[in-house]
Amino acid sequence: MFTSLRVLAYVVSLSLATHAVAQNAEGETEVPEEPTSSEAQTPTFSATPQPSDDPAPGDWAAWGRESGASRHSPLDEITPDNVSQLEVAWIYRTGDMPEEEGQGKYAPETTPLKVGDNLYLCSAMNVMVSLDARTGEEQWRHDPEVDPGAIPYSASCRGVTYYEVPDAADDQLCATRIIEGTLDARLIAVDAQTGELCQGFGDGGTVDLWAGIGEKVPGWYSVTSPPVVVQGVLVTGAQVKDGQAEDAPSGVIRGYDVVTGELEWAWDMGNPNLDGLPPEGETYTRGTPNMWTTASSDEELGYVYLPMGNSSVDYWGGNRSEEENEFSTSLVAIDVNTGEPVWHFQTVHYDVWDYDLGSQPTLVDFPRDDGSTVPAIILPSKQGDIYVLNRETGESLFPVEEVEAPTGGVEPDNLSPTQPRSGYHSLAFPNLEEKDMWGMTPIDQLWCRIQFRRASYKGMYTPPTVDQRFIQYPGYNGGNDWGSTAVDAERGIIIANYNDIPNFNRLIPREEAEERNLRPIYAGDDNTDSDTDGPAEGAGDPQVGAPYAIDVNAGWRAPVTGMPCTAPPYGGIRAIDLASGETLWDEPLGTARKNGPFGIPSHMPFKIGTPNNGGPLLTASGLIFIAAATDDLIRAIDTETGEVLWNDVLPAGGQANPITYEANGRQYVVIGAGGHHFMETPIGDYVIAYALPEDGN
Amino acid sequence: MATNKASRGVGGWFLLVFAIILVILGLILAAGGIWLVTLGGSWYYLIAGLGLIISGGLMARDLLTGVWVYFLVLLGTLIWALWEVGLSPWELLPRVFGYIVLGVIVLALLPTLKRRQATI
Repeated sequence: MFTSLRVLAYVVSLSLATHAVAQNAEGETEVPEEPTSSEAQTPTFSATPQPSDDPAPGDWAAWGRESGASRHSPLDEITPDNVSQLEVAWIYRTGDMPEEEGQGKYAPETTPLKVGDNLYLCSAMNVMVSLDARTGEEQWRHDPEVDPGAIPYSASCRGVTYYEVPDAADDQLCATRIIEGTLDARLIAVDAQTGELCQGFGDGGTVDLWAGIGEKVPGWYSVTSPPVVVQGVLVTGAQVKDGQAEDAPSGVIRGYDVVTGELEWAWDMGNPNLDGLPPEGETYTRGTPNMWTTASSDEELGYVYLPMGNSSVDYWGGNRSEEENEFSTSLVAIDVNTGEPVWHFQTVHYDVWDYDLGSQPTLVDFPRDDGSTVPAIILPSKQGDIYVLNRETGESLFPVEEVEAPTGGVEPDNLSPTQPRSGYHSLAFPNLEEKDMWGMTPIDQLWCRIQFRRASYKGMYTPPTVDQRFIQYPGYNGGNDWGSTAVDAERGIIIANYNDIPNFNRLIPREEAEERNLRPIYAGDDNTDSDTDGPAEGAGDPQVGAPYAIDVNAGWRAPVTGMPCTAPPYGGIRAIDLASGETLWDEPLGTARKNGPFGIPSHMPFKIGTPNNGGPLLTASGLIFIAAATDDLIRAIDTETGEVLWNDVLPAGGQANPITYEANGRQYVVIGAGGHHFMETPIGDYVIAYALPEDGN
Repeated sequence: MATNKASRGVGGWFLLVFAIILVILGLILAAGGIWLVTLGGSWYYLIAGLGLIISGGLMARDLLTGVWVYFLVLLGTLIWALWEVGLSPWELLPRVFGYIVLGVIVLALLPTLKRRQATI
């Protein structure tokens, strides 16, 4: 479906357009009047709901479509009957491709917003862009000039945030604004119409998130997910690069006035009395659990729901504080009016497996048997358990069993004797057995079977070991990860894609880590070899301050062939009945066309079920759109049956969440094809729109 | 023996090389199989490895019995694979596919083997 001439034409026209915009921006020096902070502090939210809380039917106004993150659109022009006619409507290229320092680190994961006639998105290195939603033509761009040295594990920008200042005049600069968090830990606000910096926000449009964090080490503390706005408070966490040291940047969550950029509150779990900046010379509590993924929120309650990650470091917990053990890998509801936690729900006790909460939870009015509904929040996890909680109280609507957990490893006394298990639904599969080992031939299969028998494996939550490998299943890629799930409350269905792959890990004694010269990021060496893809997260992380470093074989792949040691499928997509949690259908996701031994694409069109990263969207007409798999396809799936009705080959990996919207009476499906270094898909800078052929053409 | 060596044509050499490959594969499987057994794992690989060593050894000596041993290993493998993973195609792939490919070569070498066994 791609014609290179067409792509070329777009590139040429867009680069010209970019040039023109840049000149305009340079010439513009006047600072038009901006709304004042007093306007924003007036609680006018209920009278004038934000587009992100209640998007127009044809819009996609927040990362998960709306603050409640349904990823479900009411549009129905594209149907199961006509989806096969979809064609490329336009292609836009951000121009942001890795240069030397970024090689092997790109994973843009970008999902645009659509409000009114415009799309808003960010590139891997945080270039903010507005496009005409009908044509894909660039309207403005703002390049915050992030240094490639600030790239953490990946150069990712999952999306931007849209906000309308209540009661502001339409022609006021920054009355509507686009906000992003950057890899070099800044919040940047620009005018949604022109892309000009909002001078009244922070320091000339920028808030420095390094304030109070401590010594600035580029790449250690980065924002990769869009902040959320609740009742005029802009809430953000940050990614803290995993595995470096116990003494890592704080996981503090901060709320800013979305108009002025002023810090309204900080939630530092290690210092509950601290509400603003730490005193001069001090920092927010270091090494605490952070939030790297996207939060969801309830504007009416004024709660933001934070899927928290793990404490630093991931695979050893001996020196964690009581608060860290309380909040680590928990969903935390914070009242944005106070900045204090209202409730929290923990999905792993004493997490030494990097089972961060990666998914953005979804708000839903949950149906009860008597026909009433409960304001609920659906929380998927990397282990695969899906929880349904009352979002006012945090209580589970379904039984949560505490099941006995394995013990042993290097800190048997610290491990939790039990772990929670959802009585609602789990995406996880039964424990691995020797016969689940795989390969191309009996020889590599035998090798994997020997490794299986030599390793420590006691099922889910096998304690980390140092004298032998330990199998972690599912691995840290999920279950469900940042792509999250989509929920259609009308049909009463949850769509969840998932990974089904173990990791093969070992703790490394400190002396061995020294011999291997595993050094933390602040020592000026991030262990990456710029000629190849960056190593998987945890593949030789120093964990300074802990007795052990960590070695993760992500996806447990055999040497030489590079083939996984476990049998496919490695990923799937499942429909779950919302009310009961029962599986409606379950299909492998992704074909074998781009995968094969020794890294050679097999070109086999068979549905094998590949690892995947990125989420689904749902339409009212009964379609699922999803890319995510490593086969570089975007596909439409029948919501009722799980059958793939249409697909198209993307020019790069589709590790991003797609959106759908309507512009000029036409429904579009848009996906960022940016690839992903860890998923080993081709890197690109494409944003591609699909639509049905226009009438009369 | 002298006549044997003198008459070893392309087919004969191919047979010998193939037989040696079978023995090597069998040695790898048997060695790994012993390791797996000592770890408490499946006995299959050790048994199959020994089968391939015997099969290859017999074929190298131009004995037709080697073919029968090979197909016995293949049959046993099929039964074992179906018992272990059922009709799951992706899981049958590593277990059975290689043996079938080798089996086709064995069949192709059958005329050569028959001819050479007759001259022993």
